[in-house]
Amino acid sequence: MWLVLKMLWKSLARILRKLGWGALLVPVAAMGIALFGLHLWTAAAVVLALILWVWRPAAAAALVPVTMVAAGIAGLAVASAAPQWQGGWAARTLSVSVTGKGSLYVISPQQQVKAAQAQWVALLPGAPPPVSISALPAGPAKVCLPPGAAKGFPPPGPALGSPPPGPALGSPPPGPAQVFVGPPGALHPVPLNKVFARGPCKPVGWVVIAQRGPRFVPPGWWDGRVLVPLALILLTLGLWLAPRTMVGVVDRAATLVQRLRQHMRENRWGVLLVPVTLFGLTVFGVRPWTVAMVIAAVIVAVKWPKVAADLVPVTLAAFALYGFEIASKWQATPWFATPAAFANPQQYGAVLVDSRQTALLAGAEASVLLALGAWLVPRTIGAHLRTMFSPEPDGGLAGQVQRLTESRGHVINAATTELRRIERDLHDGAQARLVALGMSLRAVERMLPASPQAALALVAEARETSLRALSDLRSLVRGIYPPVLADRGLGHAIQALALDTPMPTELDISLPGRPPAPVESACYFAVAEALANAVKHSGARRVHVRVEHAKGMLRIEVTDDGVGGADLTRGTGLSGIERRLGTFDGILAVSSPPGGPTMIVMEVPCALSSQKTSSS
Amino acid sequence: MRVVVAEDLFLLRDGLTRLLAAHDFEIAAAVDTAPRLLTALLEHRPDVAVVDVRLPPSFADDGLQAALAARRQVPGLPVLLLSQYVEQLYAREMLADQAGAVGYLLKDRVFNDDQFVDAIRTVARGGTVMDPDVVAKLLGRRSRDEPITRLTARELEVLELMAEGRSNAAIAQRLYVSEKAVGKHTSSIFIKLGLAQSEDDNRRVLAVLAYLNA
Repeated sequence: MWLVLKMLWKSLARILRKLGWGALLVPVAAMGIALFGLHLWTAAAVVLALILWVWRPAAAAALVPVTMVAAGIAGLAVASAAPQWQGGWAARTLSVSVTGKGSLYVISPQQQVKAAQAQWVALLPGAPPPVSISALPAGPAKVCLPPGAAKGFPPPGPALGSPPPGPALGSPPPGPAQVFVGPPGALHPVPLNKVFARGPCKPVGWVVIAQRGPRFVPPGWWDGRVLVPLALILLTLGLWLAPRTMVGVVDRAATLVQRLRQHMRENRWGVLLVPVTLFGLTVFGVRPWTVAMVIAAVIVAVKWPKVAADLVPVTLAAFALYGFEIASKWQATPWFATPAAFANPQQYGAVLVDSRQTALLAGAEASVLLALGAWLVPRTIGAHLRTMFSPEPDGGLAGQVQRLTESRGHVINAATTELRRIERDLHDGAQARLVALGMSLRAVERMLPASPQAALALVAEARETSLRALSDLRSLVRGIYPPVLADRGLGHAIQALALDTPMPTELDISLPGRPPAPVESACYFAVAEALANAVKHSGARRVHVRVEHAKGMLRIEVTDDGVGGADLTRGTGLSGIERRLGTFDGILAVSSPPGGPTMIVMEVPCALSSQKTSSS
Repeated sequence: MRVVVAEDLFLLRDGLTRLLAAHDFEIAAAVDTAPRLLTALLEHRPDVAVVDVRLPPSFADDGLQAALAARRQVPGLPVLLLSQYVEQLYAREMLADQAGAVGYLLKDRVFNDDQFVDAIRTVARGGTVMDPDVVAKLLGRRSRDEPITRLTARELEVLELMAEGRSNAAIAQRLYVSEKAVGKHTSSIFIKLGLAQSEDDNRRVLAVLAYLNA
């Protein structure tokens, strides 16, 4: 079950990521149709939402929580304003028609009106009817009601009860619904199923069917059981989504949020436990146990801030559930009376719950609490669970810090080693040769007057020395930063590498721009090392290099068809590459089963500069 | 012979112009940036240009790019490129148009002024001159190649010198053998590599380079 839920949530999150939060605006707008019916304006809202999502996804995303909160509040407002009881009557208004030559008369205690002119008449099924209708002349007149109009009322049947004495005034008998037909003065009851015939009729007026009784007539399934929960869910979701989607607004309030965050980071979320329990004080009153709770909260917040932080969302959720329970009382209460449910008005946070409206308000408040609790979960319980269950260096900030410390150490070591190598190469190479050159030239100076021939030989030697110095410098430069890499970028530099590789090398390079110089250099030397390995150890006949950049990731594959058996842990070459790439959060993976092929994959997260590499 | 020199370092530019003037070249222009080089090449149409690969403004391969651009407008404009390092990639780009009249040498080769001036004259005549380092790299790439391994050591030597752009006579002089012997070696090389024979030195060099570059 949990797995199914998790998968559902994952796929939903994936879809949302792909479509963006703005896509939510469309179903939220579609709820308008569900709430208010299919009207021009509700349909237009859906179309507008669709257009907004396509043209301005960011704005649509920002509007999602706003509309959700608005829809939630509107739902609550509709629920609180909807008249479930009208003077003690559950009522439905129906169009009524009549066929035949007769006219339909309405007889009420006050007056007798021809139904064709009447605005309403009342049929009172299951209760003493204070009014009745009559058709004139008595006879084949038919009264038509829309199908299902009498649904939910006691079924008409043969047991109609006794006819009322005289005109249906005075004290009519109890029993199921009745319609009286006849001239005013000589009305007689007719079974509903006989009067309410089917077939096309001419509308003449409206009938209000009302019922009074001890039992509460439930509102429709939609507005009674679904509207309020849905409104509360929307409100909660909207408040929870708000910080995610309303980035622009959050940006504007950034300084304030930053300061609050700083404060919260220093004091931990646990501090919140005290005000939260204080809220409980308002709900349950000042009692020994509530006061004890507040004192306990203070102690826990000070001594075990982590535990206190974890308790905050739990407590908030509990209070929210209690608030929802209060809100659920809205339904059980007529608006015109202070019912038993609200006999003892109760405080819930800022709201004194003494009526349906305030009960719903308490529900809204509970939504805010639950949203806050849900928002806190990943920052408190989630964070603690993460650190508890993933102590390995891969997880969490601590792991990243450790990795960064390690890679920084490697970088400093590598840089120092590299500088030493350069210093030694210069010292033993070019520098020594330049000294020799100077000495040779000095010797030439001395020799020239006496023996020009010997001097000439020395000059040739000096020139040879200068050539060697140049050659030394050239290979040194190549090892520090290959000139072709500086000139042309990674793509061409790898091309140049491939040309220098004494093995057929296929290239598949697609780089629309240039990675940052340090990444380029690291990747260049990585490819150089991989190619050198392929030449030296693999016995491969050909090697394939593939370079591409997608989704902020530079990916390089070097594949050869050699004997395989390359190992990251043996030798320094590959692990050196791995360390160097690690500096940029890059990774190196080697797949080299015995018998080959060997595939070396490097991935470095980086952005490409827009500068195009020159075409070759 | 009129020559345009492009080199951004004043000392080297000055040295080059002196060296060329001493060998009876007429310096049409000595420039220090790639855009000026392109202008000078198109304006003066020199008999040959001596160009540093790395030039301002971006200090990348601007000299090479300017030379290639000029050769696109004036096909076969003789250009000798100088560089602190040699790349097969760049050699390949210069040889791509098959027009000849290109040279690619390490700056060190300037030290031997006789050979250097020879190289300039070869390029001016429409010949091709490749630095021994480039040729060594080209051969290195081909070291596992079947046809190349069938060459004898002497034939390999001849192939190298041929690829550097030397004529049969120059090769003969270098290897202390007769020109006829060199001719025998070259035809053997051409047969072994499966290349079409050609009497023309220049076309022969291009064929060899094209083969090695393939």
